[in-house]
Amino acid sequence: MARILITFAASAFIMMGSIEYSHADDFFKNADIAYGEYLAGECVTCHRSGSSEGSIPNIAGVNAKIIASALHAFQTKERENKVMQLVAERLDNEQIASLAVYFASLTSD
Amino acid sequence: MSNFSRRKFTTGLAVGSAILAAPSLAFGARPRVVVVGGGAGGATASRYIAKDSKGAVDVTLVEASKRYYTCFYSNLYLGGFRNYASIGHNYYGLAVNNGVNVVHEWATSVDNGAKTLNLGSGGSITYDKLVLSPGISLKYDSLPNYSPEVQSRMPHAWTSGTQVQLLRNQVMNMKKGGTFVMVPPPNPYRCPPGPYERVSMIAHLFKQTNPTAKIIILDPKAKFSKMGLFTAGWDKHYPGMIEWIDPDTHGGIKSINAEKMEFETDLDTFKADAACVVPGQRAGTIAQSAGVTDGDWAPIIPATMASKADPNIYVLGDASVASSMPKSGFSANSQAKVAANAIRGELTGSRVFKPRFANTCWSLVATNDGIKVGANYKAGPEKIDVVDKFISQGGESADVRKATYQESIGWYEGITTDMFS
Repeated sequence: MARILITFAASAFIMMGSIEYSHADDFFKNADIAYGEYLAGECVTCHRSGSSEGSIPNIAGVNAKIIASALHAFQTKERENKVMQLVAERLDNEQIASLAVYFASLTSD
Repeated sequence: MSNFSRRKFTTGLAVGSAILAAPSLAFGARPRVVVVGGGAGGATASRYIAKDSKGAVDVTLVEASKRYYTCFYSNLYLGGFRNYASIGHNYYGLAVNNGVNVVHEWATSVDNGAKTLNLGSGGSITYDKLVLSPGISLKYDSLPNYSPEVQSRMPHAWTSGTQVQLLRNQVMNMKKGGTFVMVPPPNPYRCPPGPYERVSMIAHLFKQTNPTAKIIILDPKAKFSKMGLFTAGWDKHYPGMIEWIDPDTHGGIKSINAEKMEFETDLDTFKADAACVVPGQRAGTIAQSAGVTDGDWAPIIPATMASKADPNIYVLGDASVASSMPKSGFSANSQAKVAANAIRGELTGSRVFKPRFANTCWSLVATNDGIKVGANYKAGPEKIDVVDKFISQGGESADVRKATYQESIGWYEGITTDMFS
């Protein structure tokens, strides 16, 4: 249920966000999955696979467009969370694409 | 074939194998990384080097304890928000899931020239790269008359484990209406908000079980981490219970009498019914003996976390001079990933990415009242520099504070999974 809510919320940001994903292939064309795995080191200090007692969602296996749009929403401060805003603000589009493609490649458990 | 000729035949085979094996030994021997200390820095570095090299690097972790109790969240155990078992972790995942050779021994000394780490048992391990993540050692002599002999009367409880259990027991059994004295350490030290979160958690206990108890903080510092947030929280949740006394007012601790539970200062002699005394700190002893410290801590090259004194040694976490990065588990975990990437690149030729560091410290002031401070960092030429930072705001809503606490629970699960799974 929690997963469904997260997915729904993130989908909403795809529609609301300022980044156009209708040409998603272009956005992700420079994605570098090995770079994404390295960058993900910063994420997995908090985000883990499997179920969680806390409020930090499992992002393994989540669609790349959803992850990218969530990061953009934190970057523009449309989404609240100081930690995530700090993480997102220094990511460029290549890094966001790389992270998104890396997390999407994982299984959720 | 006679026994003799069979032996001769097998000997010939062995010689042949040795000759055949020689080139692969020369060109294909696995480089070895030895990591000392199985906390947030060392466990993370071990895991990342082992899993990311997919067996190409031989990783040995030297850690004396078979079960690791985290310092982070030990205050929440004190406050009754966690049970003790929940902050304990073992090394099964590192050994079985990641192929790390886990050696439960004390590292006693380093032979830098021979690239050898000596162990308490008398054995030794050679290394290509040595990662030191030993945490802190306590400078008992930073406080008059404080020593390991009296730490059961006045626990420091700053390296988790039984000291924290003892402190909780003493707090729970303190006489009604008694006085608890907290002596925070001088800068720099492990976990800057830690002493003040500890006071918050003890106040939380007193509020329930000993509401007329008092807490006196004899601080050697004139200000402290998240000061405004903590003091506002104390006024809100524990009015009249906590008195923080700055060094200009008390003039310094002149003497500690553990037998009488007294602290003599210029201002007064404070009598405690229970106390927590945290002395000054320096890098774990092995960093001193490895010759990588300058004064109390080990300077590093920011881009790789390599020691400035020995290019084959890396220093992580509390023991290192990480400039504006605080001495925290989150920082150590972040630094470990930078070092792991650099070490693997040097030993196996794998891709080396630009270093990036981050830290967030969550503290709990009272039930569902969480606060946080965080920053991200980059490797400058001489030191690790802050890029941007944030801190919780005063007057945040109860919902925001509750969400901050819940976020910290997720972080605890995340980082311990990242360290040990």
